[in-house]
Amino acid sequence: MEHPHHNQLLAALPEADWAKWRDLLEPVTLAYGQVLFESGTTPTSAIFPTTAVVSLSYLTRDGASAEFAVVGNEGVVGVSLFMGGHAMPGRALVQSAGQGYRLRASAVRAAVESGGAVLQLLLGYTESLIMQTAQTAACNRHHSIAQQVSRRLLMGLDRAQSEELTMTQEAVANLIGVRREGVTAAAQKLQAAGLIRYRRGHIAVLDRARLERQACECYAVAKKAYHRYSLQPLALAA
Amino acid sequence: MAIAQNQLIERLPRQERASLLAVCETVTLTLEEVVCERGKATRHVWFPVDGFISMVAPIDGKPALEVGMVGREGMLGAHLGLGVDTVPLHALVQGAGSAWRVSASSFRGQLARNPALQRVVNRYLFVLMAQLTGSAACLRFHKIGPRLARWLLMSHDRARADRFHVTHEFLAYMLGVRRVGVTTAASALQRTGLIEYHRGEMTVLDRQGLEAAACDCYVNDSKAYADQFG
Repeated sequence: MEHPHHNQLLAALPEADWAKWRDLLEPVTLAYGQVLFESGTTPTSAIFPTTAVVSLSYLTRDGASAEFAVVGNEGVVGVSLFMGGHAMPGRALVQSAGQGYRLRASAVRAAVESGGAVLQLLLGYTESLIMQTAQTAACNRHHSIAQQVSRRLLMGLDRAQSEELTMTQEAVANLIGVRREGVTAAAQKLQAAGLIRYRRGHIAVLDRARLERQACECYAVAKKAYHRYSLQPLALAA
Repeated sequence: MAIAQNQLIERLPRQERASLLAVCETVTLTLEEVVCERGKATRHVWFPVDGFISMVAPIDGKPALEVGMVGREGMLGAHLGLGVDTVPLHALVQGAGSAWRVSASSFRGQLARNPALQRVVNRYLFVLMAQLTGSAACLRFHKIGPRLARWLLMSHDRARADRFHVTHEFLAYMLGVRRVGVTTAASALQRTGLIEYHRGEMTVLDRQGLEAAACDCYVNDSKAYADQFG
């Protein structure tokens, strides 16, 4: 049975804020490929995924896209609402189907205006998203495709909470913004080394510890930023 | 009242501006000085006047690649507005000059009392987010020539002079390419008469030409800023 507390931010809400939000949160089903908002539009609600995974990507004018952040049950889609409700600079696309909870923009605004621990939680998450974005930008330039594929698989696994991902090589290539051939070669290498098994769009991770060593540091940096910024302020306030 | 010469401070209403400036001091930004390091506690917030600062993502613990730039249009330390104390990225002076500087604790006090400042910081955070988001795609897809042209325009905007000091080595490091790549791209811009480069002195000769040569990211960043502050 789905529960809003399957989203880590919602689970971390202080009692008083949870009491306010529990009746306002609406369960939503997010379908694969669904666009939650387009680049340049203001989100009409914030979405807290529980089992779905959402990819935030930037579209260049000539149609290429590069993912700059991934959001799953650890986060929320629509952080611009916490900062005064401006249009988002990227597109939010459901990359793994599943469930989530929606909080309408008006309710988000009310929470932001009342300040306190809930605002701290949302803004801390926003900072970790900014860090993830900066790290991904650097990663796009510096790291090999094999490192980036490993990083991306680990980020997907954390959010899917399973040892298997449903993802074609084409999808991985689109996310990290490289040609499919490059991803195929990297996946074959990872498979030959016994880290993953790839079959018809299903990727099973066989050896997570080694996959982590194969990934660039960007995976650990983003994860650490999340724990430091999103959840720690509350721990300090408690 | 003194003219702040930083566009964010200038946006504040008279009283709030005076209150912020009262706790600011003027400091000199020295070329290639590291003003803050990722992971450390934030000690100061900077509002550049005529110097400018690069935000750099470290790779393997070393500063590696520029993901954003801050000059008199912006500020360094906006993360305090998100209630975060830890420095998110390395910051390195890229254009010598001066800046307003305020201690992190005074700045927090100002934020708490000064809603106009909060609004400005929030809007600027948004600009910063747009800049980082665009960088992710720019670093992936765009070629060194258009990226160099964009970088020169960003620096030109912030330096407030047609001429500034920069070595090819430094550019290579900021743009995450080999030095020879920068040299080739800069020679091409020089040949077409857009810039002149001599012993570390860069002169912008044809700004319009550079705008045409730069990737979209320059216009996108300018638009993101204008959307918030225009």
